Amino acid sequence: MHKEIVEFLNKEVAGCGASTTEVEVGDASVVVNAESIKPVCFALRDSSEFQFNVLQVVSGVDYEDRIEVHYILASFTKNLELILKVKLPKAGKDEMVKVESVCDVWKSADFQERETYDMLGVEFIGHPDMRRILCPEDWEGFPLRKDYVVQEVYQGMEVNPAHKINQGDFDFMAKAKLDAQNPKLISGSWAGHVSPELSDALKRKMESLEK
Amino acid sequence: MENSNNVEKLHTDLMTVNMGPQHPATHGVLRVEIKTDSEIVAEATPYLGYLHRCMEKHCEHLDYRGVIPFVDRMDYLAAMNMELGYSMAVEKMLGTEVPERAEYIRVIVSELQRIASHLMFFGTYAIDLGAFTPFLYAFQDREEILRLFEELSGARLLYNYFWIGGVWNDINDDQLRRIAQFCDKMEENVKKYHDLVGMNKIFRDRTANVGVISEEMAYQYGASGPVLRGSGIDWDLRKKRPYSIYEKFDFNTVVGKGEMGTLGDCWDRYYVRVFEIFESIKILRQALEGIEEGPVMGKVPKIIKVPEGEIYLRTECPRGELGYHLVSDGGKTPYRLKVKSSCFTHTSMLGELGKGQMIADFVATIGSIDIVLGEVDR
Amino acid sequence: MSSSTEVNTFANDELTVGKWFGNVWTAIRTVIKGMMITFKYVYGVKPVTIEYPEVREELPKNSRSRLFNDVENCISCYQCATACPVDCIYITAVKRDKDAPALKTKSGTPIKLDLLQYTIDTALCCYCGLCTTVCPTECLTHTTDYEFAQYTLDEMKYDYLAEDVKAWRERIVK
Repeated sequence: MHKEIVEFLNKEVAGCGASTTEVEVGDASVVVNAESIKPVCFALRDSSEFQFNVLQVVSGVDYEDRIEVHYILASFTKNLELILKVKLPKAGKDEMVKVESVCDVWKSADFQERETYDMLGVEFIGHPDMRRILCPEDWEGFPLRKDYVVQEVYQGMEVNPAHKINQGDFDFMAKAKLDAQNPKLISGSWAGHVSPELSDALKRKMESLEK
Repeated sequence: MENSNNVEKLHTDLMTVNMGPQHPATHGVLRVEIKTDSEIVAEATPYLGYLHRCMEKHCEHLDYRGVIPFVDRMDYLAAMNMELGYSMAVEKMLGTEVPERAEYIRVIVSELQRIASHLMFFGTYAIDLGAFTPFLYAFQDREEILRLFEELSGARLLYNYFWIGGVWNDINDDQLRRIAQFCDKMEENVKKYHDLVGMNKIFRDRTANVGVISEEMAYQYGASGPVLRGSGIDWDLRKKRPYSIYEKFDFNTVVGKGEMGTLGDCWDRYYVRVFEIFESIKILRQALEGIEEGPVMGKVPKIIKVPEGEIYLRTECPRGELGYHLVSDGGKTPYRLKVKSSCFTHTSMLGELGKGQMIADFVATIGSIDIVLGEVDR
Repeated sequence: MSSSTEVNTFANDELTVGKWFGNVWTAIRTVIKGMMITFKYVYGVKPVTIEYPEVREELPKNSRSRLFNDVENCISCYQCATACPVDCIYITAVKRDKDAPALKTKSGTPIKLDLLQYTIDTALCCYCGLCTTVCPTECLTHTTDYEFAQYTLDEMKYDYLAEDVKAWRERIVK
């Protein structure tokens, strides 16, 4: 099915550069150029052969060098389903990437695109109401990007205060190691969550023991 | 003459009213900002995110088994169906064979969950429209299902029962017998409930011709499940794209017919949900006959590593289609798990549906699309 | 359902006298029908609720409620802490002396590590049951206690090495 769609798209929309790859597990997808996403969507919706009349998902995946925006289309009349992708090169941390909105094609794109904007920082050009939807208006950063770090203070409230993440329990092992004669005998479940000053002290102790 | 001139000079303005986030009719923490022209809604804007936990981000740091408790917490009224989709997506990527008995248990349990969820809709929708007793009747029946689930999985609401490769605990003969009894009782009861609420003149007048979703609009907004079927579209994933072992069962798709008014109104959506209970009972009876002895857990590696690739898997949940888009990079945790929630898409319809309605009708409309805010916000 | 074929007259624009009376009659009839069902419930159905503080419900055996770790059978394998999706189990253990008397669990697994800390923050716990299923010696179990509300968050943190929590053992471990 994917090959037919690629053929159809390359014939119908000039310069969309549609391509697909064979996959061993899971679903295959069709990749198109970001500039021609709107005509591609119009063509797929209006084609008598495929009739993709429902837009199910607009979502995105953050990779190291690019952000992929996925459009998952379904046809309820022809019983088909398609993953359509565009690849957008990433500029930097918290920098917006831009792609044309498909709100005119399906109305369901409205909320879906707002969610993608909120979570991944993809700006959809031509969207009627580009606001955050799940996070508060004044939230910083885009949570689903891989390099996202939670802001430390939000509206005067400390995010993740030490007593709520049980810092004392995380530090228990480090403290026990500092007190013990042979720290190598002690092990614990959460080595990664130790507070910095304790882990520094522990490192110094381990170094002095090795000498 | 002078009097009427004065009326024209009177400056009227729209009034902004916040409905929610704490409002009994919004079924959770949905806020709808309504601009009202006296009693009529001129503009309705839904504001989401009051229950946002960013579950999709959490899942990126959890192993594949650990995701299941988080998936439960999306649609907490149909947690079993939420688990079914996720575990099926991972199984398909791994190529795991699920034993026959486990598949049967999955179907039985998820159909029971569908009944429980529709009963919940029935009860709360009656409350929205001012009838309290049906709520208690619905909960009385739902209680039996929850009790059974508690015996099966150990929890009443958030089960963690469907595991990757099968189900956690086996079901015993006594429980199967109780389900069969429950089916008989439920069939009687639902008929009674439909007479009590659905056929009531006041209820009919409150719901018929209200919140009409046309076929075109349903497609445009990507509606699914009972909302789509209420608009007269014959689409049920269990029939059209059978997953699990649904192709073995004989049942009908309930489609709205516009009996009480326009096709696609609130009454049609109510009708689809209530009569789907009968279809679920049909499936349950066939499944109870077909279930055979056997193992309930397939062969799954101790540490699950899903091969590189992606999958989009849809299942039919009580509230509509639930899709999982799982992207894996071959590691121990999902690289990205996007959840296509039907409630989320249905919420986006509220703006258009609300326009021009009376406020009381708007309450009926919100109730009829039956959203669970846990799934909307995820 | 015989009445399902009736057309809802509310939508029609013209309201004649006949229709008006028809509407009133349908309303009265359907309400009476509903009331009959309700009255059947008043006298025909046994109450399903229980009077809670006096009557306590017995939960099913595999009900997942308050966690209990029998520290005497724990081999400090950290599997529960690894499986926990919300990271609410904190364990620290120290290697047993070679000279110390050998210890074994109930099932015969040798204990090579001594527990220094075994704390579960039940306020964070999501009662998913993943920790109990991976436990090799089955010392970590869900009990069927369901009344453990506390006034402060700190009291929700159970240190299973503390004497007062150990005291549950007699009741739970058979």
